[in-house]
Amino acid sequence: MQTDAGLNTQACPKYEVLLEDYLHGELEGADARNVAAHLAGCAGCRLALADAAAGTRLLGAASPVPGPGAAFSRTAMARIYAAEQERTAERAVFWQPFVSFGWRLAAAAALALLVLVTYGASSGRRLQPNVLALRPTAVNDLFSPDPARSPATSDEVLMMLAENDHGHQ
Amino acid sequence: MAASAPAMALPGSQAEPRPDAELVRLCQNGTVAAFEDLVRRHQQRVFALVAGILRRPQDVEDVAQQVFLKAYLGLGRFDQRAAFSTWLYKIAVNECWDYLRKKKVRPLVYEADLSEEQVSQLDGIMSSERPPQNPRDRAEIRQLLEKVLDALPEQDRQLLLLKEVEGFTVQELADMLRLNVNTVKVRLFRARGRIVQASRRRIRASGSSDARPASRPERKD
Repeated sequence: MQTDAGLNTQACPKYEVLLEDYLHGELEGADARNVAAHLAGCAGCRLALADAAAGTRLLGAASPVPGPGAAFSRTAMARIYAAEQERTAERAVFWQPFVSFGWRLAAAAALALLVLVTYGASSGRRLQPNVLALRPTAVNDLFSPDPARSPATSDEVLMMLAENDHGHQ
Repeated sequence: MAASAPAMALPGSQAEPRPDAELVRLCQNGTVAAFEDLVRRHQQRVFALVAGILRRPQDVEDVAQQVFLKAYLGLGRFDQRAAFSTWLYKIAVNECWDYLRKKKVRPLVYEADLSEEQVSQLDGIMSSERPPQNPRDRAEIRQLLEKVLDALPEQDRQLLLLKEVEGFTVQELADMLRLNVNTVKVRLFRARGRIVQASRRRIRASGSSDARPASRPERKD
């Protein structure tokens, strides 16, 4: 940047950060002395610093933005509570199908268990093996007449005699 | 976080003000009422920040409230590695840019030139060492400055306004705009010079250059 008088108002790039601190009185010791010495010999930095100081004065004359009204925090909190309720409701809606399915599954499982138990209890006696009916003699001697029983026909008498004869031999 | 009753009093709220970190922990454990203290504590600066970026007074309150709502909803993910205020200001900056993008509006640009009275006022401030104390004058100067600040790139305008008028620190600005501290300092330094030069151009253009301080050399535009 050049002025009419040919003066450069651009600060030396190396010094810009230091000049910003110098402007606000935030430089101390060797840094402050270094900047002061540089300013004494650099017209560009001097002019840039003067402009920056004028800019600070100009901006310092403006008032900050007026703050929010007294109702601001109440309104903000009302929105937050409403959002929190909505979030809780959304969470409930999201899990509702899973909860419903879970209940149905539990009910079906309970019913199935009940049916199985009932069926098992009622058919338990019927399923017990008939020990008497499975005697080995009954299997091996199907055609022999029952010895405890007296022959009813002549054929049975003949059969008994034949059995006895074979037994003697 | 489960919602507590809105009327629930925060235990110990009458005593010493609790640090932000403690209030954040309380909120994260489900005490929603603790967030109200955080809102009250930070509302002024969030409001200033949003106003500095949007410049549309009718939108500022709504966006500022949205900032607190977003902060509350995101509090579960906030790990407190940074200060709560830094995190909150970042949310505010993002919310402003989202808002401008959604509404497809640029930050308000003042197209009207300065009136003779405003130019004279500007000249007066620049040549005076003492800033005006009257709040009404200062509010007018703010409006006037916002017009002059339009000569700057958007981010430089925000930096100057937030630093010099709203009182944010260089570190806060660097954090919220994700810039290096030295970059912020350089931009501020240059922007200050630019706003002064822009003001001088306006004063000269209005023909009142005679009122300019004699210490400044004449410049070509």
